[in-house]
Amino acid sequence: MKVVYNWLKEFVDLTAPAEDAASRLALSGTNIGGIEQGAQGAVIEAELTTNRPDCLGHYGLARELSAIYRLPLKPVAPKPAESAAKAVGAVRVEIQSPELCGRFTARVIRGVKIQPSPAWLRERLEAAGVASINNVVDATNYVMLELGHALHAFDYDLVRDHRIVVRQAKPGEKMKTLDGLERQLTPGICMVCDGDGTRAVGIGGIMGGTETEISFSTKNVLLECAWFEPVAIRRATRFLRLYTEASTRFGRGADPELAELASRRCAELILQLAGGELLAGVVDAYPGKRAPKKIALHRSEFLRIMGVDVPDKEIEAILAALGFAPVRVDAQRGAAGSLLAAWECAQPSWRAEVEREIDLIEEVARIYGLDKFPPRFPVARKAAARLPHAAAEERLRERLMGLGYREIVTIPHVAEERNELFRPAEATPARLANPLSEEAGVLRSTAAVTMAAALEWNLNHGQRSARLFEIGRHYRLQGQQSVETRVLALGATGEAREKGIYDAARAFSFADLKGDLDAAGAFAGGFRWQPEGGAWLHPARCGRVFLGAQELGVAGQLARRVAERLKLRQDVFLAELLLDPLYVAMRAAGDARRFVPLPRFPAVERDFSLLLADGTSFAAVARVIQSLGIAEASSIEAADLFRGKNVPAGKYSLLVRVLFQSPTSTLTEAQITDFSGKIVATLEKQLGAQLRAG
Amino acid sequence: MSSVESKTAKTLAALDAAQPQPVVALFAEVRARFDAEAAAAHDEVSWKLFRDAWLGRKSGVLTQITDNWLKPASPELKRAVGAALNELRAHVEAQIEARRVALEGAADETTLARERVDLSLPGVVRPVGSRHIIRQVFEEIERIFLQIGFSVAEGPEIESPYYNFEALNIPEFHPVRDDMDTFYLELPKGAPGQLLLRTHTSPVQIRTMEKQTPPVRVIVPGKVYRRDNPDATHSFMFHQVEGLAVDTDITFCDFTGTIEYFVHEFFGPGVKTRFRPSYFPFTEPSVEFDASCIFCAGRGTAAGGGACSKCKGAGWIELFGAGMVDPAVYGFVNYDAAKVSGFAFGIGIDRLAMLKYGIDDIQVFFQNDVRFLRQFP
Repeated sequence: MKVVYNWLKEFVDLTAPAEDAASRLALSGTNIGGIEQGAQGAVIEAELTTNRPDCLGHYGLARELSAIYRLPLKPVAPKPAESAAKAVGAVRVEIQSPELCGRFTARVIRGVKIQPSPAWLRERLEAAGVASINNVVDATNYVMLELGHALHAFDYDLVRDHRIVVRQAKPGEKMKTLDGLERQLTPGICMVCDGDGTRAVGIGGIMGGTETEISFSTKNVLLECAWFEPVAIRRATRFLRLYTEASTRFGRGADPELAELASRRCAELILQLAGGELLAGVVDAYPGKRAPKKIALHRSEFLRIMGVDVPDKEIEAILAALGFAPVRVDAQRGAAGSLLAAWECAQPSWRAEVEREIDLIEEVARIYGLDKFPPRFPVARKAAARLPHAAAEERLRERLMGLGYREIVTIPHVAEERNELFRPAEATPARLANPLSEEAGVLRSTAAVTMAAALEWNLNHGQRSARLFEIGRHYRLQGQQSVETRVLALGATGEAREKGIYDAARAFSFADLKGDLDAAGAFAGGFRWQPEGGAWLHPARCGRVFLGAQELGVAGQLARRVAERLKLRQDVFLAELLLDPLYVAMRAAGDARRFVPLPRFPAVERDFSLLLADGTSFAAVARVIQSLGIAEASSIEAADLFRGKNVPAGKYSLLVRVLFQSPTSTLTEAQITDFSGKIVATLEKQLGAQLRAG
Repeated sequence: MSSVESKTAKTLAALDAAQPQPVVALFAEVRARFDAEAAAAHDEVSWKLFRDAWLGRKSGVLTQITDNWLKPASPELKRAVGAALNELRAHVEAQIEARRVALEGAADETTLARERVDLSLPGVVRPVGSRHIIRQVFEEIERIFLQIGFSVAEGPEIESPYYNFEALNIPEFHPVRDDMDTFYLELPKGAPGQLLLRTHTSPVQIRTMEKQTPPVRVIVPGKVYRRDNPDATHSFMFHQVEGLAVDTDITFCDFTGTIEYFVHEFFGPGVKTRFRPSYFPFTEPSVEFDASCIFCAGRGTAAGGGACSKCKGAGWIELFGAGMVDPAVYGFVNYDAAKVSGFAFGIGIDRLAMLKYGIDDIQVFFQNDVRFLRQFP
């Protein structure tokens, strides 16, 4: 709200400069967006929290400043001249929905002259950010900005039967509002109607209708100043998507007691601006009158919450200035500073949200000054604990960083079409009911989809090599429940080793991905790989990753079909693994880890250069060697592999390196020759392997 | 050498040197000859020849002198010859060694010039990874709060309206909900309730208090979602760290002391703090918390004059919202509001990172361009 500083001075004799007042307001709960100097003097941009509808008018902020500076707040007591004729005879009001409309006052001003407003009014409204329309409408807006209560003026002669009926909207009802739009209504919305109540002339507390609008031919004015139920107003505004100055004020909770005063003030202003005569009295339907509330404040409770005391006189002055009329009620009345001190306060009608002792504590503290409560360092009574998986996650993160992967953080909202490329058939996607766009319509079913997008971003921005990881969640539905699962995503593209002064370039391959994953899997006792992967992976370059019998996920090269859809012009490698079972296994493997004594006798290496049929795996070779039960064969490794020159089609050459070692003696040449012979013979027999010369 | 060689092959007597004076002259001649030859030993091969010619055990010049001059010398001359020979030997040995050292040094220079590393060239560059800056900032926050007894908790990002709103004292149609535009999930027909993406990490306050009794001290990191159109300062996903402390003796002073400690640890001890009253339905009293601007040291003016662009001349930067836990919240978790009190806060991690590192566009966090990631090793 734009606050004209000179306007505040009409209610409080402020001497401080506007900057000082703004700063004091900011430190007592009114957020200040800035100050500008204009033709009307300083204009303060006040950003009010939703609990302070009373400050949506200058008078409310003047009350705040009166409490801050301890200056008296001048009362508003308009006494417009009234004619002999009474309003009661000129207009009737019936509230049929008191749950929506708690009060409706009506005044009638006859013989007005509608014309443009005088300069002082136009300028002040303009300074407050409201466009001038005509003198009567401007009067209603002026009073709204002054007192914080919204009003509405009807052309009295266009209101049928001079009768107002307040009811809720009927199913399918429509009306044309002042902004010229036809509005579709729904029950629960409060309608201000005329005549027999069938025609709506306004949406209560939100916007008037065109049919009874003030125009330059208006002679007589019916002035509405009412009170509408805040929750109903908020429902209605959300349904209608119609947010107005009036709906903001009523929606946050206006002051029902203020309605009659605001109406009187507005009538006074209309007489001043447009002439005419005010019919005596007011027609006032007030089914929602609230009984005044009492709230107690105890010093002991203040101390328990705030930690530091405030003198009696300060407490009483603050509460009195804000309208709470504090009265000491404890047995020790008169004993200043008593720890047993208690005050009974009256809730002002404009502060419906102050209902409890804690609310009063806040009122005192915020005006007294939060800087007067000295910071203290609290003592902990329990040891702090990180998340149960924090240590495992950190080891994993460190390992991946050591392998050259950079951590990324992504937004899980993706296009459904993209999500579908990666979604396993059994996963139900978690779609948004109200996405911002189709591009962000579903929460990722896998973290691979966002990892692919991160690689895509880099490739599209000239970054051709990237190794990335993300520790995050994927999101799925299971029936009506949501399931969030912690996952690790890896993504890599480009070169595993860049060309440099010392090295040739080498492209990232499936073997890099597998090696990196296995380096992480080593923490958990090692991964087991099985053939095949997701449909989004290259059928020949993918695998499933297991820990024991538990499948953690898949890894491999992105299928060309998917890469083309994503317009990725180079090979991309992805993996997604479940993290919770990995963390469990990491802890278990860590607990089970024991020292293995170092060998005391030398090891002997033997290489076997084998010619194998395509499809015969290294694992099969290793299994055959292990099946011989040679205890001294302490490791079996693949040392080299090639196809092509000198290797017949359908075959490939594999160099297998076996390490022989005994814990009890140095092996003899005869023993090694014996082992080697058995190995070659068995590989020939079981796998059809041929030993290559050399 | 011919004259020296021929002379050392003869005895002193044969050379008519019966007196010390001619002996001294002979030694001077030999020494001059040696010095002249030394200059010619310019590499390893010539040096070896030179050394053997003078020190060779069988026919070196010094051996010749010993055999032909010293040994047959008359007893009266022997002393003088011996002394002169020792002097010559010392000179020859020292010179030959010095010559060797000089020659080796010269050879090393040639080799080293070829082998010397060029320090302006890079070493072998192995790929290195990095933590995302959001993660780094969270770890810093976590470290600070772990030190003062705050444990870490977490909760689901997909929440029920109950945890996200109702139990935090935000009933349906509360005006605060208008400020937290919310994503909802599309659920199968007949689903009993709604699911939404949490708009803050505060639901974990409720989940934590449901599970344990006071004392409670937790921080809760995580993703939160608000349905705002993306721009330089808005992302519909961002990160918060929730904080919650509840005990039988926590006051507002403990709250401000804790926050002040955090800010001094995070931004440095020179940073000043300020609490402004504000409003959140689940805290009361509620505050917005400001720190003195770290860019202009709270002066409000930029180094080159004019208003500081970061704090817009205010000298203060708004950091986050916080407050004492509203007693209504305790009602939802069966805590006795008359016996316990506490505070809660919600720190925006992205915002802190933007402030600390001068990042002006929140979107860069989530694009994950490696040129961005590399900047935070």
